[in-house]
Formats: sequence, structure tokens, C-alpha cells
Amino acid sequence: MSQLELRDIRKTYPGAHDETLKGINIDVASGEFLTLVGPSGCGKSTLMSSIAGLEAITGGSMVVNGVDISAMEPRDRDIAMVFQSYALYPTKSVRENIAFGLKIRGMPKDDIEREVERVADLLQISPLLDKKPARLSGGQQQRVAMGRALARRPKIYLFDEPLSNLDAKLRVEMRTEIKKLHQRLKTTVVYVTHDQIEAMTLADRIAVLKDGELQQLGTPKEVYDTPENLFVAGFIGSPSMSFIELEIERSEAGLSVTVEGSDGRKLSLPVPDYLANWVGKRVILGIRPEHISQPDNIKSEHSLVASGSLTVEVTEPTGPDIIAVIRLNGIDVHCRLDAEHPVNWGEDAELMFDMNKVVFFDPATEKRIRPN
Amino acid sequence: MTDVVRRGVRPSRIAIYGVLLLACLVYLIPLIIMLITSFKTPMDIRSSNLLALPTDWTTIGWTKAWAEACTGVQCEGVKGFFWNSFKMAVPAVLISTLLGAFNGYVLSKWKFRGADLMFGMLLFGCFVPFQVVLLPMAQTLGMLGMANTTPGLVLVHVTYGVAFTTLFFRNYYVAIPDALIKAARLDGAGFFTIFFRILLPMSTPIIMVSLIWQFTQIWNDFLFGVVFSSGESQPITVALNNLVNTSTGVKEYNVDMAAAMIAALPTLVVYIVAGKYFIRGLTAGSEKG
Repeated sequence: MSQLELRDIRKTYPGAHDETLKGINIDVASGEFLTLVGPSGCGKSTLMSSIAGLEAITGGSMVVNGVDISAMEPRDRDIAMVFQSYALYPTKSVRENIAFGLKIRGMPKDDIEREVERVADLLQISPLLDKKPARLSGGQQQRVAMGRALARRPKIYLFDEPLSNLDAKLRVEMRTEIKKLHQRLKTTVVYVTHDQIEAMTLADRIAVLKDGELQQLGTPKEVYDTPENLFVAGFIGSPSMSFIELEIERSEAGLSVTVEGSDGRKLSLPVPDYLANWVGKRVILGIRPEHISQPDNIKSEHSLVASGSLTVEVTEPTGPDIIAVIRLNGIDVHCRLDAEHPVNWGEDAELMFDMNKVVFFDPATEKRIRPN
Repeated sequence: MTDVVRRGVRPSRIAIYGVLLLACLVYLIPLIIMLITSFKTPMDIRSSNLLALPTDWTTIGWTKAWAEACTGVQCEGVKGFFWNSFKMAVPAVLISTLLGAFNGYVLSKWKFRGADLMFGMLLFGCFVPFQVVLLPMAQTLGMLGMANTTPGLVLVHVTYGVAFTTLFFRNYYVAIPDALIKAARLDGAGFFTIFFRILLPMSTPIIMVSLIWQFTQIWNDFLFGVVFSSGESQPITVALNNLVNTSTGVKEYNVDMAAAMIAALPTLVVYIVAGKYFIRGLTAGSEKG
């Protein structure tokens, strides 16, 4: 049970012009599963290496359970890491791989034996203990790498994109296993990934990074429903949120915006009252695929719902849903339609816009306009 | 279909085997001549064809070369010098290989400022001709009080060999993922533990390359041997030269050939024993570890 505080972490690589990490502040609660997510080069791996002590930070401090570990050697930090490439010692058997860290730390032989057995049971790799890593499949190597981390019972576990070398099916299975394992062991985990679905499904909280800056820190639901800025909005969610720049208008019914379909048909959509200050100004509307669907009677009784007929440009059936593409104001917009009511591309479809959950951004700052 | 392929031997096959056989012959003829000549009597050598088998097989050439032939003033064969070469080559090979492994480890996994520059400069050592270092080396050995001694010769060979062994190991270790080192550091292993318990056990192919290369170089070296050793401590290459050049009457080609074979045998044995590792080690970068 360990708690980790990152205080204004800064890192500039020697000879580099820009800071790779520009003052990161994150508190990870004891037993929390935190994912660091962001595009390549956002600094998430650097941050992870810094926590592990493999990279020296140039500013800020890292505190574990009240102890500043910023200047400690990796071996003294009591942090374990699972690497993307697994990094198993190729000349050692699975047993030796798991035991290595314990041996180095001078644990008595019997205890090591017991600990290896415990971990092997936990991860169901007991039959593999005497094999060399090269003889294992990718998924098995992955388990051994996790076993090596678990064996030491460290204060904090770091996962560096551990699933990205697995095939799609195995990745989903291992994802579930990691989550189960975490729920069972209640350990503090920092998990780096570039896959936003992995981030959403595993995390207690998500930290979205871009260009070395923390964009948003929140629960998966917060990050999904109320993204702080355009970047987070576009990064989280698949298919991603569509953005349309338009002007807020005032009509008798209240505030609204007008969108134009590919054939010139205009459609007025109601918007929430908190945008009153933005009347006559341009905003960016962020709308997720599930906000546009076939009309349904329960939803249409709510306020802020509008319907209209629009031409479907492309359909992508996924099984449970059909992802349809329509064009609004010259921009491709994804809609999530019910697969029970098929639509064909090139035909018109009656679509319903649920404007209760859409978000708006200030085009100048790219920040979300908050309801006051 | 297979019938069509198997019917007769295709001309391209014949050409390939022909060329290969020819190449083998070109390489093997000197060895064959040496071997058969070493088993001939001097009479036989003068009367018969170079390539003809001995009419009368005898090992007199070998025993004489080993224990009786004159190398300058004393006539005790090459026996002593053979062991001299071992006393020089074995420590020199082991030390230069270990140092090279260590250098390679530091230059690839613990990069410091200027590590690449340093590696580049070290590489120059591979291109420095032996002759260039003779005088400064003689001076250094003199100052260290190691002139004309076997340890002195070992030092010379280690110094000269480290450039090559560092190159071997550095390039081998560059291909080993850094994550392995990081994992070991998180497991609590330090600088030396990582080297001896993680990296060295993975290095068998390149250790073999280094051992074979260094052994061949050091065993076969003549120039350093002739310059930096004298009398008792001379390696076999120098002794062989003296033996062949010592003229006391008739030239005994059988003894010369046997002595040359004795001088060449250890490198031959090393290559036959560890040769497969040599090939594997040289191509190690291209396969997945």
C-alpha cells in the first residue's frame, strides 16, 4: 500500500532544446491504478523511467509514502517495472528470472522458493518454471515479466506499454487479467499506454499527456464526458469526437446553432443556456458518435434534442452498431446507429441529435467552455 | 515433377561444385605439400616429385623439429618456444578479451559524454600498423622493466588487441536491448553484477569470436615477437624463422615443414573446435536473440 506524489517533475535531456517534461503534478493514491496516456513523444515513457530512477529528473521531486526518492538509485526505490519488450534474461530459466531480484537482495533460499511458487500460482505459469524465455509464447513471456515484478512485492508497479507486443485477442485477455490481478492485490500501479481503450478500461484515473504537459487528470468517465480541451476530447474515444466550428445564435426557443448537410439542408440544434455569453461568437462544437442516433421516443421528450433528415455518406457496421458518416458544415461527422435499423450509404436517414452531452470549446484557447 | 528435377545433374550444379573444388585445391595444396614433405626422408625429398607421397613414411622430421633442430646456437628443437608461445598467447588472449568485453559493456550500456568519440578513437587502434608502435613500445617496456620478457610481450599484445576486442563486444552489446539492463537495475543489480550475471552469459558467440581472433593474431605474430623478446622467451614464430635460417650443411626440408606444422597446429585446432561459434558470432547481429 503505497502512495506516490509527483511534484512539478521536469526533465530536459542533455543537449536538447526543449523540456521533455514541463512540470508534471500527479498524486497517486495508495492502491490506485493510474494510466498515463498520450501520443508518441508526449513524455509518458520518460516520466515512467524517471519514477523508476532510470532517468534523472532535472527538477521537482517524487515522494513515496512521505519519503523523497528523487535522488535514490533504482534499486533503493523498491519499484518494479514490466517492460514493453518484457526484458526477460534470455540465459536464465523462468524460475531464475523471477528469483533474480530476490537473490540480489539476499533473500534466503527457502523464501525465494516459496515466493516463486506463489507468483507462479498467481499467474498460472508453474509448468513453465524450468523453461527458457525463448521457448515461451508472447503471452507467456508477458506473464513471466509480470511475475518478476510481483515477486518482490514492491511499493509501486510500473507498466510500460506491456500489451502492445501481443496480438489483438490476447491483448484483450491480458487486459482483463491485469485488471483482475489489481483488484485482488490492490497494489499501486502506474501504467503507460498509447492505447486509449486500454487506458479507459484499466484505470481508476487517467492522466492525459501531450508535449510534456499534463492535459487532464481524472476518472475515465470525467475524461470522456468532460474533456478539458480539444486535445483530450479528440484523443479519448473511438471513433473520436467530431469538431464543428459554428456560431451561437439566439432564437425564440432559446440558444441554438445551425448546421448544414451535404445537400445544403439546414438544421437548427438547441444548445444549453450556459452559452449565453457566446451569442454571436464562434465556438467549436464537440459531438461524439453516440450523440447522433436514430430517433427514439424516450430521448426525444428531453429538451435539447433535435431531429432532421441527413444523407449518410459511409456506413461501417461493427456488429452491435453501425458507424455512419454524415457531412455537417463540410466536416465528416461520425454517428453511432443501431444495427437493428440498417441504413444504406447515399440514402437519407432520420437522425436525432442529443445536445445534452455535447461539449463546446473556445476556438482561441481550445479549452472547454464550462457551464457555470 | 520431382522426376524432371532429378533427371541428370544440371550443368549449373557441376559448375558450382567445380569452382568450389578448385578453390579447395588451391587452398589445400600448400598444406598437403607441407604434410607429405614433413613425413619424407631428405633423400626422398631430393629424388621425388613435390606432390608424390613418401616412399618411406618417417616421423624423423617431426621429432627432430620438436626436440633436436638448431635454432641459432642451441639445438633443442622448437619445444621450448612452443610453450613460450602458449605462455604468451593464453594470458594475452584472456586479458584482452575480458578487457574488450568490459569496454564494450561500458561503451554501449553506460554511455557517458563522449563515449562515441572515445569508441571512434579506439577504432583507430585497429588501423595502426605494427611498425609504427615499435619504438614507443620498446621505450615503454624499457621504462616498465619488462623488456625481453614474456609478460612484456603479453602487455604489447593486450594493448594492441583491445581495440579489436572492444569493437567486437561493443557492436554485439549495442544489439542487446537496453530494457534488459534497466530490468536488472530495478531488480537491484549493480554495474558489475549486470556485467557478470546478465551480459557475459549471453556473450558466448562473441567471446568465441574474440578468443579465436586474438589467439590467431597473437600466436601468429612475428614482428612483436622478434623485436620485444630474446633468447629464452621467444615465441615459436621467431624460433621457426631461426630454425629455417640456421644453415648447417644440407637443408632439411622435412624438419622445416614439420616445425612449420607444429607452429600452425594450435590455431588450426582452435578453429576446428570453435569455428562454428566464430561464424555464428560474426553473424550474431542479424538474428534474433
